Amino acid sequence: MRRGSFVQLLLFAVVAGAIGVAIAIFPNWLPPAASREAGRIHFVFWFVTGICIFIFSIVAAVLAYSIWKFRRKPDDDTDGPPIHGHTGLEIAWTAVPALLVTAIAVVSGVVLAKDDAAGADPLHVNVVAQQFEWTFYYPTYHNKMSPVLRLPVNRSVVLTMTSKDVIHSFWVPQFSQKQDVVPGIHPTLHITPDKIGTYPVICTELCGLGHALMRSQSIVMPVSAFDKWASAGTSTASGVAPPGGQEGLALFKQEGCNSCHTLTAAGATGTIGPDLDKLQADAAGAGKPLAAFVHESIADPNAYIAPGYPRNVMPQDFAHTLTSAQLTSLVQFLVSSAKKGSS
Amino acid sequence: MTTTVTVYPEPHAEEEGPPRPPHGWRRLLWPGFLRAAWMAPLFFGIGTGIVVGIRWAADWHPFWFGSIIVLVGALIAAPIGFLAGIGAFDYWVRYAVGAPTTPEDHSGHGAYSWRDYFRVNTDHKVIGMQYLATTIFFFFAGGLLALLVRAELAKPGMQFFDNQTYNGLFSVHAALMIFLFVIPAFAGLANFVVPLMLGAPDMAFPRLNALSYWLLPIAGTMMLCSFIVPGGAFASGWTGYAPLSVHQPLGTIFFNMSVQWAGASSIMTALNFLVTIITMRAPGMTFWRMPLLVWANFTTSLLVVIATPFIAGSQFFVMFDRVMHTSFFEVQSGGYVLGYQHIFWFYSHPAVYIMMLPGFGIASEVISVMARKPIFGYRLMALSLLAILVLGFSVWAHHMFVSGMAPWLRVPMMITTLLIAIPTGIKVFSWLATMWEGKINFATPMLWALGFVSMFVIGGLSGIYLGAVPIDIHVSDTYFVVAHIHYVLFGGSLFTIFAGIYYWFPKMTGRMYDERLGKLHFWLTFIGFNATFFPMHLIGVQGMPRRVSDYDPIFADWNMFISIASFFLGASMIVFLYNMVKSMRFGPVAEANPWRALTLEWQVSSPPPRFNFDEIPQVVGSPYEYGVPGAKHAVLGGPREREPVAVD
Repeated sequence: MRRGSFVQLLLFAVVAGAIGVAIAIFPNWLPPAASREAGRIHFVFWFVTGICIFIFSIVAAVLAYSIWKFRRKPDDDTDGPPIHGHTGLEIAWTAVPALLVTAIAVVSGVVLAKDDAAGADPLHVNVVAQQFEWTFYYPTYHNKMSPVLRLPVNRSVVLTMTSKDVIHSFWVPQFSQKQDVVPGIHPTLHITPDKIGTYPVICTELCGLGHALMRSQSIVMPVSAFDKWASAGTSTASGVAPPGGQEGLALFKQEGCNSCHTLTAAGATGTIGPDLDKLQADAAGAGKPLAAFVHESIADPNAYIAPGYPRNVMPQDFAHTLTSAQLTSLVQFLVSSAKKGSS
Repeated sequence: MTTTVTVYPEPHAEEEGPPRPPHGWRRLLWPGFLRAAWMAPLFFGIGTGIVVGIRWAADWHPFWFGSIIVLVGALIAAPIGFLAGIGAFDYWVRYAVGAPTTPEDHSGHGAYSWRDYFRVNTDHKVIGMQYLATTIFFFFAGGLLALLVRAELAKPGMQFFDNQTYNGLFSVHAALMIFLFVIPAFAGLANFVVPLMLGAPDMAFPRLNALSYWLLPIAGTMMLCSFIVPGGAFASGWTGYAPLSVHQPLGTIFFNMSVQWAGASSIMTALNFLVTIITMRAPGMTFWRMPLLVWANFTTSLLVVIATPFIAGSQFFVMFDRVMHTSFFEVQSGGYVLGYQHIFWFYSHPAVYIMMLPGFGIASEVISVMARKPIFGYRLMALSLLAILVLGFSVWAHHMFVSGMAPWLRVPMMITTLLIAIPTGIKVFSWLATMWEGKINFATPMLWALGFVSMFVIGGLSGIYLGAVPIDIHVSDTYFVVAHIHYVLFGGSLFTIFAGIYYWFPKMTGRMYDERLGKLHFWLTFIGFNATFFPMHLIGVQGMPRRVSDYDPIFADWNMFISIASFFLGASMIVFLYNMVKSMRFGPVAEANPWRALTLEWQVSSPPPRFNFDEIPQVVGSPYEYGVPGAKHAVLGGPREREPVAVD
């Protein structure tokens, strides 16, 4: 290879590399890191990006140079030189990538080991996922229950997760940590939040109809504020006494009704199923007395489908999974809150 | 006295063609669509009868149990009736019952008119065309579904579909593209080309070959029909993770069974390729003289034969959990949820190479011929295919880094995953070195091949991000993964399928495609493809999960941009379709060897004679000796006294 063409090739590589660097720098790729794990993962990300830009610029340069220089003349029917191979080159492009991937593997392995190790005195949180909502329990604080994940800043947290139904996946982009939440097992995830703020909790494993809406929040608080919140006794959402008894409301949440339905009395804002504040209108639409309609709609959801909603979406097995006493209190709760809502 | 030794039957049937069907009621018994039209319902009736009969005898209520009748009657029995009706089993049934078999007069072989493409045909060239036409149909069907997905995603919030329908759209899109386009389209191209490249008259088992084609329309129809059953299409993604897939509406068993039919088709074709490649090479065609496309299909076929039974198993288990109340994946009764993913990915990771290695083969053929240079490092190119084959079976759990599997498995699987970059890198660098100092002809197939190399490099590099466990934890199940698979399967597999279709178009049809339209198609697709899929890397890393119908409004601008680009991309395929249809009918008549290639398929007429070679070719050297004065890959029709010359 002549010296001139080598310089040209190098120029191509520099241009390709510059484009690569610009694409890496110009948009904001990674969400701002809000945990120590995220910081380490971001380091791996940029380490790999550097190697990828290096390889990309070599390939792009050779490709662009070849397209530019080795174009066939229209009337040229001759062949190129019969080069069958070059042992040195072949060894080089086996060995260099091998070295690069070894480096990536080592860096990744070290970071993974660090991220997997919980710090001293970690806070334990149990995460329960179900279609389509998250619930967080704090075993060291009388198993306090919360629909949002509140965490103290700069303290190692161990999340122990399980699912009641299908596979979900817990992800907070700013923490860069993700873990599938699987029925039957209890995988753990370590997070050390280091920036106060509010971040989304997103389900990233397709879990059915409401998957796109299965979201919550993670609130990272100053330690004192967290302690105050966590020790404030078991809270049942708003302080308003729920109509129709505590049991109906508890069931409403426990069975996950709130993730799909709106009901002011339960603080539920789901939009997948019909709005339960408007139960009376739906009962009228079905031509049934309110209590009988509510009972039928839980035990046999397909008996009447509110206009605009699909069939077979609501679980069909509440008649079997709930005792008749539970069913009755759930119906009572819904009927009384529906009457209250309309009055 | 001279005796002419005819090794292959002489194509004397030229004027006769296949036997004509009889007139009158006997026509109903003649193999074809008419017989299928009554045999499929008959078998559906038999299947229904078995279900209802057993339930009645055992006193299980209700006797008429819809979902089981659909499964046994419509998804198993009726397709068998259809296959029997079109005559896929005729020869074997006669043989099995001891009836006199018709002597093989090769009347079912080859195409005499367009009608011969619509019957069970044993000619590998006809079957190859049947494969390609069918898979391109499903490509357009799957593409339209993708456009519906993009229409919904153009804006945050819900636009056109409810959640369940949306989940069905992307599930069927992926399933069609994977099981009914990429995998069988490569099988179709190879079906046409491999026997020709080997110097063989046909595949080793022509009737099996015909059967494996006819399973495909069944599988595809089943996927699409899932939209019309109550509850809608299967909506748990093409990965169909249990336990979600166990509890989805009835459409899911259409996916479970469709995968069985498509999988059976893949396995039969792969066995056929293996036997053909091992036993039917022309004299002198040693393994080290095989074109790389043959090598690629050899390794792919090994992958298919070993891996496909695993996905068949995983889908049966899901279906059994639903219809028989087994509990493979039901936690309450002792099931193991992650078992599904292990079995599924033990197929579906090798499947990624099933969808890529044939493309490597096509790229090697096109780049060497168009650059007028021998392929660089031929032996290492073949060996790296084998390395990918072996490594491909040791990396499945990299799809499961966040699944909750045994944590220790992550680092070993990361190492094997990253190691695959080495043989893949060897291939990319060797293609570049093949072009170096060549006399490159930038005809349409070469544009697609170079488009493939550049896009596949991006897909490979994003694969390194996904292989490194810490980064994968962040980007797993986000749009970054969507971008990666499309760079690999669209920029990789599909680009090489287009390269192959344009490259062999003159050989297949005997006519030349329109070069200007071909180039236009390439550039529109290339631009549309990058505009559609590159931004997905960004929104994925920023935090947009995949498989969602609604998303955070901060991603609204990019999603609108992507949706517009995707419609542009979709429109570029119209150019392709127009070019194909127009050129097949009105294109200029093609020469036997328009690319001046050395491989055997170009040494016969376009399209090739009914039995490919009038005389057995004698292979005397490597298939890529461009630029070597006087070098030959094979000698056709000449005297045989010449000894094989070692020019490796």
